[in-house]
Amino acid sequence: MRDGSAMTNGRLRLGIDIGGTFTDFVLMEEQSGGLHTLKVPSRPADPAGAVEEGIRRLAGDHGMDPAKIGYFVHGTTIALNALIQRAGVPTGLIITRGFADVLEIGRLRLPNPNDFMCDRPESLVPRNLVREVDERLLATGEILRPLDLDQLGEAVDQLVDSGVEAIAVSFLHSYRNDAHERAAVEFVRARCPDLYVTSSADTWPEQREYERTLVTVMNAYLGAQMKAYFDKLQGVAATLEIDASLFTTKSNGGLMTAASAAEAPVQTLLSGPASGVVGALHVARIAGKPRVISLDIGGTSADVAIIDDGVPYSTEGRVGDFPVIMPTVEISSIGAGGGSIAWVDPAGVLKVGPKSAGSDPGPACYGRGGTQATVTDAYVTLGIIDPARFLGGRMPLDAVAARAALEELGKQIGQSATAAAASVLEVVTSNMYAQLLPIMARTGVDPRDYALLAYGGAGPTHACLLARELGITQVIVPRFPGLLCAYGSLVADLKSDFVATVLLRSDQTTFEELNARFAALEEQARAWLRQQTGELGRHKIVRAADMRYRGQSFELTVTLSDEHRTVHSLDEAAAAFHADYEDVYSQSDRTAVVEFVNVRVTISGEKPHPALTELPTMNDHPPTPGERQIYLDGAWRGGGVYERASLQSGQRLTGPAVIEQDDTTSLLPLGATATVDRWANVLIEVNG
Amino acid sequence: MKDQVFIEILRNRFQAIANEMASTILRTGYTVFVKETADYGAGLVSRSGVLFAAPVNLGVSVMIGMPVEAVIRQIEWEDGDVVIVNDPYSSEGLITHLPDIYLIRPIFDAGELVCFAMNFVHSSDIGGRVPGSISPSSTDIFQEGLRIPPYKLVRKGELDEAFLRLFLSNCRIPDQNWGDLRALLSALHTADTRIRELITRYGREPVLTGIDGVLDYGEMRARALISALPDGDYEFIDYLEADMTPVGLIRLKLTLRIKGDELTFDFTGTDPQVQAAMNLPSHSHRGHWMIVIGVINYFRTVDPHVPYNSGLVRPLNVIAPRGSVVNPEPPAACGVRAAAQFRILDMTMGALGRVAPEIIPAAGAGQISIALVATPDIADGEMKVSVLQPLCGGSGGRPVKDGIEAGDFCTFLRNIPNETLEHDLPIVINRYGLRPDSAGPGEHRGGSGVEFSFQLTGPTAAVTARGMERYVFPPWGRRGGSTGTTGLTMLRRTGEAAESIGKIDLLNLRQGDELTLLTQGGGGFGDPFVRDPQRVLADIVRGLVTVEAAERDYGVVILDGAVNEAATVARRQERVETPTGEYTLGPAREAYDRAWPGASQESMNALIKQFPNVLRPFARAELLAELRPLATKGSVTLTDVEAAFARLSERWRGPHAATTTVLAAD
Repeated sequence: MRDGSAMTNGRLRLGIDIGGTFTDFVLMEEQSGGLHTLKVPSRPADPAGAVEEGIRRLAGDHGMDPAKIGYFVHGTTIALNALIQRAGVPTGLIITRGFADVLEIGRLRLPNPNDFMCDRPESLVPRNLVREVDERLLATGEILRPLDLDQLGEAVDQLVDSGVEAIAVSFLHSYRNDAHERAAVEFVRARCPDLYVTSSADTWPEQREYERTLVTVMNAYLGAQMKAYFDKLQGVAATLEIDASLFTTKSNGGLMTAASAAEAPVQTLLSGPASGVVGALHVARIAGKPRVISLDIGGTSADVAIIDDGVPYSTEGRVGDFPVIMPTVEISSIGAGGGSIAWVDPAGVLKVGPKSAGSDPGPACYGRGGTQATVTDAYVTLGIIDPARFLGGRMPLDAVAARAALEELGKQIGQSATAAAASVLEVVTSNMYAQLLPIMARTGVDPRDYALLAYGGAGPTHACLLARELGITQVIVPRFPGLLCAYGSLVADLKSDFVATVLLRSDQTTFEELNARFAALEEQARAWLRQQTGELGRHKIVRAADMRYRGQSFELTVTLSDEHRTVHSLDEAAAAFHADYEDVYSQSDRTAVVEFVNVRVTISGEKPHPALTELPTMNDHPPTPGERQIYLDGAWRGGGVYERASLQSGQRLTGPAVIEQDDTTSLLPLGATATVDRWANVLIEVNG
Repeated sequence: MKDQVFIEILRNRFQAIANEMASTILRTGYTVFVKETADYGAGLVSRSGVLFAAPVNLGVSVMIGMPVEAVIRQIEWEDGDVVIVNDPYSSEGLITHLPDIYLIRPIFDAGELVCFAMNFVHSSDIGGRVPGSISPSSTDIFQEGLRIPPYKLVRKGELDEAFLRLFLSNCRIPDQNWGDLRALLSALHTADTRIRELITRYGREPVLTGIDGVLDYGEMRARALISALPDGDYEFIDYLEADMTPVGLIRLKLTLRIKGDELTFDFTGTDPQVQAAMNLPSHSHRGHWMIVIGVINYFRTVDPHVPYNSGLVRPLNVIAPRGSVVNPEPPAACGVRAAAQFRILDMTMGALGRVAPEIIPAAGAGQISIALVATPDIADGEMKVSVLQPLCGGSGGRPVKDGIEAGDFCTFLRNIPNETLEHDLPIVINRYGLRPDSAGPGEHRGGSGVEFSFQLTGPTAAVTARGMERYVFPPWGRRGGSTGTTGLTMLRRTGEAAESIGKIDLLNLRQGDELTLLTQGGGGFGDPFVRDPQRVLADIVRGLVTVEAAERDYGVVILDGAVNEAATVARRQERVETPTGEYTLGPAREAYDRAWPGASQESMNALIKQFPNVLRPFARAELLAELRPLATKGSVTLTDVEAAFARLSERWRGPHAATTTVLAAD
């Protein structure tokens, strides 16, 4: 697939996103901003192989010269999949005496206490591979008991005998003083040079032993595999004579070198969806709508992020069963997608999901043996998706099978296949609404102030239906909705987060002391950036602190220095806290003592983003659509059928209509109008 | 049949509004209970007072069956009103202890009442005799804080400032309570907006019909699930332990009666209300939320998709005799009524176990205890009050798998990082982990309990606790599974040996003292002697079962870290008695049942009903004191009870009789 002009002879940027089903490629020409895209089937057993195949095809079919790639970045779900499938290496944990069960007990609350069959998530390190050693620090960082090296030696030997390939070390209060952890890591390295060893203060030095130990264990559990994978990928790059160094995307929406990723795989866990959000923000900004709700609908779930002219972050991210304490792009997953299965419960009520047909067998229309009706089958039956055009015609769908599945479903609720299909869409839309509304309440936004930015295979198909429910009037569909994650990786910055738990009180500390803590983190941050590219370069540093009123048990993260705000004294820092506090709680206590719990520094290495190719303006030439019958709002209607690649800037379309392209179909319901902007985004106005 | 699609759409919309309210409270709520332990709730209530939507995975998750009729009846509702209420007695079962502050807002459309939005938080303090307002030893509700009968906090949009001042002047944390109230108010406002949007979209009548529709839908599912169970009366008896107060043990008797598509919780035979804080003011309300939780869990286990609303409880009758511990009259104290709720959950599981043996586990730890520490801060010169780890134990073993470690079916609380506790308090924590050999042995063993042990490094501290249960009678086993272990509190004073001190009401610690709290392991399911020896070995390797316990409890002989097959077979064949029966209650409970037969206890309860309610606790105490020597020696018979009661009546016949008795004694 190609967009814009033929490939010119300039420098190239290559972004790759390795997903479960497809490996996506977006190639950008730096000078012209021209984009070339490609999808190849992923190879779960050999992810690097799919990358090699894709690059060879780009070189062969598209005339790309790999030597011209000056920028090579990729996102991968390898670590995530290994974690979810519990396919990491056997890992041992060495921990302070008395706390061997930190992973077993976690934060105590059960995932679903109402369910008699409920279980805690299976621990990444079985209890018999956890070894306690004598050592103890106090909350102040003072040493209460020294590290017992004899016990440590015995513990390591036992773990090695039990077959562990990696060891995580986590001691209480190491965020205050990492002397014991460092000593232990050195000891293990000296004794067993081949083991992969990580410590908690190195991984993420924040107070809260369960969460800190968990990310440390994840690192150890995934590290060896990630390193092997990156070695292989470097090999592929060398074979293909790609000169550029390899970067990988992170859960915080930034980039790091592949070498860093091998050391901190835990930072890549949520990188796929995170780069999607980075891409979404980029599109939202160029479309002139910097406040958007991003909606990425795939086969089994939909990922949602609330974007207010910036990437949203959370320190309460989750990966599978587990919390991740590090800052990650704040994305909520809702259990509804194109593969969600429709069914009828014993009371005769129509339900959709949460079960999904996945990609195997997939929806009935995939013709792989699935017989249960899914949301995708409803799209096909209602004429929204053209079965012959799916994935650019490379995977024709079986409309008869889709209709048969819906007929079967309809019999159970007394409806025709068509009416049942419409019901399925209504129910799944109300499902999405039900899950989205609380997510917005959690961040305190009113959906009516936002546009919906739709991507993923089914995002643009469903976005207008959902927007109507939410009271959202504008929907944005980017040029390549199926490749936004790969695209996001091309526009991301090098970025890393640093934390220190300081527990300083405003009445017992000085601004100098606070500054010194920030300065120490910034030194780490700059060293990190230098290590990434060999030079510091243009960069941006943001300081923030988790603050609270003394005696409170929860904190607010307050930005203390960025392009909008800089504090010059403790009083100004406190004032910033009071102001942010008022925003959330509509009150504050300006006389109270304020505590700085954690200080945080985020560094981003900035690089120029190439401008995208603009489309020629064709205001006076409305496109001429094809036509087919589409069932919408209770009736079959003649709907326009447009080809995405032929749309020109400034053109206006009116619903009912569909816009077709290889990676998705966008639906414009009755009453919706759309315009195409200069960067080929489709901007849809929906009338509530 | 289009209705069955519309019902699902409306159910989703209602669910969204309830979840949105809960998310708003979580974001803007102020106190620890909201932020850390999720003790808050939100829901939508029909015009007739039935809850038709509540959050599933946010907040307390136990709101199904909350009755709102009584409060609704007492108020002349106008648009823009918000009613505040925390009083268990005037709210007739909606509220069950004072710290739960509820707000209710009517939602009108063009002058017609459509429904109500309701929410609550558990306030960290609502006044009363102890900080935190809850103590097991409170003897009446006036000791537990400020009582607010339904009152318009906001009248047609106008906040009642005078009332607010009165309220906030009566609690120890006025700012935090006001912060929480504001979070509740803003969540109610959102719900009002959303319901009006819904009406604009679908029309008022369809929404009103829809409310009935989702409730009918819930009811239909519940009736179908009950119909699948065999008819019959299924009895289960268990105890609450108020032995840290003069009250002692409290006997609860549940007959779960299944008939067709209806199910009745009959508590006839349960002990009278007590002068301690374990009373559960259910008002014998049909489908009462704190009584039905075991059946709701059952519904949700067999069908995770049942609609989550009070339609589910329509087929659930409750018979809770007036004046009993599960339906007390004012002014009974009820701060620790959660203990009763958890025990009723266990008993429901006990009764259901007979009809749904493939679903129902053995008894779990059956407690959540919350301990508070108050300690002077040398640097600040102020008292610090902080929660220690909330203490839960393991669940019971299950028909198809082991129990859950450190988690029971009431574990919705989160713990506190030990690093944070050590930063906030002058303590060093020596251990926070699973308690070995605590799980009840079984083919599927119970979940392990927890051990939490700390040493005081500061000069002095006072520890209070509530909700400690199952220190006397262990969690029971099922189908040949053994009991779990009881709770245990060990105190080691500086320089002395550790001793078991039972439950804590108030405990003073000195510098260097070490306090260890050990929670219950759940009961086992099935004969432990048929458990796969390799699984027993795996538990040994994991450090949850000792080699000695493996041989004693499971008949598994370990040699050099491996199962000795021959010795194991021999050891298992040696056993004389195969455990039988549906339940294993354990020797302590069996001895108690022999000393105090149920018929004698129930006869005593029936006899003291001849006295007015205010006298019954005293009468009961007198009788127990007189009969205790008989129980210690053998068994208290019906004749013993009747004779003791006759003597008591003789003494108490009236003021004149008392005077003459006293005079005669002279």
